[in-house]
Amino acid sequence: MARLSYGTAARIATRELHSSRGKFTFVIMSVAIGVAALTGVRGFSSAFRTTLLLRARSIMAADVAARTNTPATPDQQAGLKELTAAGNEESPVTEMLSMASSTTSLDPLLVSLKAVDPAKYPFYGTVVLEPAIPLKQALTDTTVAVGDDLLLRLHLHVGDSIKLGTERFRIAAVVEDEPDRLSGSFAAGPRVLLTQRALAATGLMAPGSRVTRRYLFKLPPAKPGQALSDAAVAALKTKLETLLPEAQITDYREANPALTKALDGATGLLSLMSLVALVLGAVGVAMAMRAHLQQRLDSIAIMKSLGAGSTQVMKIYLMQTLLLGLGGGVLGVVLGIGVQMAFPLFLAKLLHLTPSLRLDVHAIGLGLGAGLLTTLLFTLPPLLDIRNVRPILILRRNVEASDDPFTTRMLRKLKGSIAQIVASVFILAGLVLLATRVSDSRQVGEWFAGGLVVVLMVLLAMSAVMLWLLRVFLRGTRLHLPSSLRHGLANLYRPGNPSAALLAALGLGVMQIAAVYMVQRSIVNEMHVTTMENVPNIFLIDMSTDEVMGVKVLLSQQASVKGTPEIVPVVSSRLIAIKSVAMDKLKLQHMGRAGQSLNLTWAPTADAPPPGDKVVEGKWWTAQMAADSASHPLVAIERGRANRMKVKPGDTITLSAQDDRMVATVAAVYEADSRHTFSRAEFILPEPALAGLPVVWYGGVHCDPGATAMLRRVLYEHFPTVTVIDVAATLEVIRQVLLQVTYVIQFLAAFSIFAGIVILASAIAGTRYRRIREVVVLKTLGATRPRIATIFSIEFAVLGLIAGAVGLVFANLLARELLLRVLHFDYQFQPWMNLGTWIAVAMLTVVAGWMASHRVLGQKPLEVLREE
Amino acid sequence: MGASGSGKSTLLGLLAGLDDPTSGTVALNGTVISNLAEDRLAQLRGRTIGFVFQSYQLIPTLTALENVLLPYELNDDSGGQKAGLERARELLVSVGLSARMDHYPVQLSGGEQQRVALARAFILRPPIVLADEPTGNLDTVNGEHILELLLHLNHVEGTTLVLVTHDPALAAHARRVITLRDGLVVSDVVKAAAPPVSAPSVGL
Ligand SMILES: Nc1ncnc2c1ncn2[C@@H]1O[C@H](COP(=O)(O)OP(=O)(O)O)[C@@H](O)[C@H]1O
Ligand SMILES: [Mg+2]
Repeated sequence: MARLSYGTAARIATRELHSSRGKFTFVIMSVAIGVAALTGVRGFSSAFRTTLLLRARSIMAADVAARTNTPATPDQQAGLKELTAAGNEESPVTEMLSMASSTTSLDPLLVSLKAVDPAKYPFYGTVVLEPAIPLKQALTDTTVAVGDDLLLRLHLHVGDSIKLGTERFRIAAVVEDEPDRLSGSFAAGPRVLLTQRALAATGLMAPGSRVTRRYLFKLPPAKPGQALSDAAVAALKTKLETLLPEAQITDYREANPALTKALDGATGLLSLMSLVALVLGAVGVAMAMRAHLQQRLDSIAIMKSLGAGSTQVMKIYLMQTLLLGLGGGVLGVVLGIGVQMAFPLFLAKLLHLTPSLRLDVHAIGLGLGAGLLTTLLFTLPPLLDIRNVRPILILRRNVEASDDPFTTRMLRKLKGSIAQIVASVFILAGLVLLATRVSDSRQVGEWFAGGLVVVLMVLLAMSAVMLWLLRVFLRGTRLHLPSSLRHGLANLYRPGNPSAALLAALGLGVMQIAAVYMVQRSIVNEMHVTTMENVPNIFLIDMSTDEVMGVKVLLSQQASVKGTPEIVPVVSSRLIAIKSVAMDKLKLQHMGRAGQSLNLTWAPTADAPPPGDKVVEGKWWTAQMAADSASHPLVAIERGRANRMKVKPGDTITLSAQDDRMVATVAAVYEADSRHTFSRAEFILPEPALAGLPVVWYGGVHCDPGATAMLRRVLYEHFPTVTVIDVAATLEVIRQVLLQVTYVIQFLAAFSIFAGIVILASAIAGTRYRRIREVVVLKTLGATRPRIATIFSIEFAVLGLIAGAVGLVFANLLARELLLRVLHFDYQFQPWMNLGTWIAVAMLTVVAGWMASHRVLGQKPLEVLREE
Repeated sequence: MGASGSGKSTLLGLLAGLDDPTSGTVALNGTVISNLAEDRLAQLRGRTIGFVFQSYQLIPTLTALENVLLPYELNDDSGGQKAGLERARELLVSVGLSARMDHYPVQLSGGEQQRVALARAFILRPPIVLADEPTGNLDTVNGEHILELLLHLNHVEGTTLVLVTHDPALAAHARRVITLRDGLVVSDVVKAAAPPVSAPSVGL
């Protein structure tokens, strides 16, 4: 037995590829579509993410920000210097309240100062000024930029001067928009923007004055053109947390809860889709190769009878597999690049942004590798079957005694397929490896990889059980059923045929496609709610109790105001102790803004959380408990804050307001959405607990983004002391980003669902080769074409129904877990959607079966006389 | 009779209307079938002709009993399932497969499969049975057994049997022997005497 060289093996393999091109087109297409979906979705989503995150950063003007009320100690300053030496850029923003006066009239006015370094600030986004000049030009050490409300109240114009502390400053411009308005402090008084040096010159930063500092950081670019890694951001965050234990550290992903959630959701979904593309491609390959090798059984037997050993034959088919995988992979990468380039074209109108397109070598390599590896992995079991092909096959069809009891048969089967089992273990390990490489969201990747193993096992088991049930059912009833129905059903169960594998593959495909759809739908729904609802974009600061009614009436008269304004009471207080431990004792531990003042509020209803807040731990108080709260104070704390304070329901915190002290028991921890004014409150108490304390009111209202200037003017006229903060521009940015996310994920989900359907259809189509023989026999025996069509349709429909049912059960489980546990979105079972999908799967299976099999029907019956 | 590649299978196919002749017409029991629509032809064939092939050609997803029953189901629209079932069982018993009725083809040996195919060919009591080297895939013992059964059934059912064979001894029993070479009929001998084993038969 001469050794078969790889060259000869390759030659034989190519020869065979040539002789049945049509069949191999399917294999190559399956790989190609899987790889294309993988590289396309991945490449585009990473480009898109980079663009989106850039926008998210502009909301904070930085990658990471540290906010603190205490001035940096020399040690801390040295630490900050070290961080900049490591390549990070740093720029301080100082905010404080102060009095300003017109140099002509000397009228005093409370203003909110914001000192920046115009050479660096903002790292992301732009400060919009009127006249439209760059910030660097507007802010010198003798000039300031101010809010237009300051001009209105002090009757000044651009070019006039104001006095801050001991210095005079010329007003160089009006501030129209600051990128980080939402993450700065919401203080009363018009904005005055100045340089750090100018602020120092005013002498206002005397010891004891209340100053909030934000250190903005920009990370060095990871590699040219590559997105910032989450790990780098997290590393800087940890460093800052140890360096500035008092500070509140946020990164750009936390800048806006809705945005964060949208981005997380989109990232999770996109990596899910990449994984789905990968697995579906693999399934397509496996099914096609299986059908192909089954077809080849005879030529394998001939080769063996001519003296070829199993290894040699396997070598030939291994070469063939490699060629197919490589061909499909290359084609897929080309298609994927095409997809990447086509997406922005399709979306340019909707997105108003062009993701920078880079041909990511990494993604291409991954796509090619994934194509090749999945092809190999999934062809392994059928390839190993070659060893069991006996040369006798050319003379006689396999003869199998089967009177042995079931268990012996199973044992023998198990023994015979040890190699297959080992191969399956390799497949799963390989998939897990690929899945973790492929998914951008590690969590989703790990989850998916772990889940896939279980799901695949269960799917196979369930498919086997379904088929077994079908067989039992047929046993009991088969001769009473109409014959085409019986024949159609019988086709699903054939001894030693891949129905269970096909069923599991289809089920897996349906599961993934439906899960992508469900997750996508849930995310898009929630984002639509976020983007459409009347999120407050105008905030009213420092209203007195007697102004509240008037403001409400005035707002209700404005046509530009949408919905009812939310007016929230605020009582100032200080945190004295947590769990009876005084704050100064806690100071050394990492406790956030320790000992600082807090804002308390009460909910509009006595026994329920305010709109938009959701209890996540503990229980909200009852009306009775609220009534008793004057003597037994209760408090509900926002989740992030509670975590930083390390308190749980049942713990106590000691607060002081005016000269009163109260020990309040934590009743509940809640989560706030970003759509309500109450979202900005972190401590909620029952109203009676706060009775008698001085109250100021904050309000939030949604105004048409185009009409905010008008509304601001009307408010100044009637309530000159109320500060109006306009974040419409920032919110519009967020809204745009959210809308873009929804468009993109809908588009990509549709694409990957389509690709999945094509792959599954080709898997079904792979079964057509075994039908040819059946068609000619049936025709010879007198079957008409409609009759054969009926038999096959029943088979396809039942296949689709079973796969659809199994797949949908798992899809709902997967979507539910992913949405609730990983992505924190809502999951709702959609009966109609599920029913519709189920029917659609059955119909698509029939259609796909027919698209592939209709030519088989036209087969000349004469074939029956040709020996294979 | 005829050498391999001489056109025996092709001729059988034409007789049954499995293929269209390039020229000339084929008539089955006086009906010209070469211009019939495919589905019409299938129905006619189903009722008139039983087939036995060299490689059995059983439907792998159906049991032995169902395979035998198949022509009945495909061609009988009287709905008399019961009668068909009875006949199928009878035939399987007569070919000695009473214990293997619910087995699938892969669970049967070649000889057993061919016996199922025999039963299937005769279930509709077709006037004509075509057999294309029915023993070609079998060893001598099994082959002889199959032939015996075939000739016996042919005798009992009273059908016209067209048998492709290489065995001159067997051909000697036939009432008419047609010999082919290179697609042409080179001899067509009709014997007057009835053959000792079976009813009217033709050996190709
Ligand atoms: N009369 C004929 N005219 C043209 N081609 C024929 C004819 N008879 C047979 N052939 C061709 O010869 C080949 C072998 O015929 P086949 O019927 O398979 O032979 P056999 O069954 O005798 O071994 C086939 O390709 C067939 O098309
Ligand atoms: Mg022949």
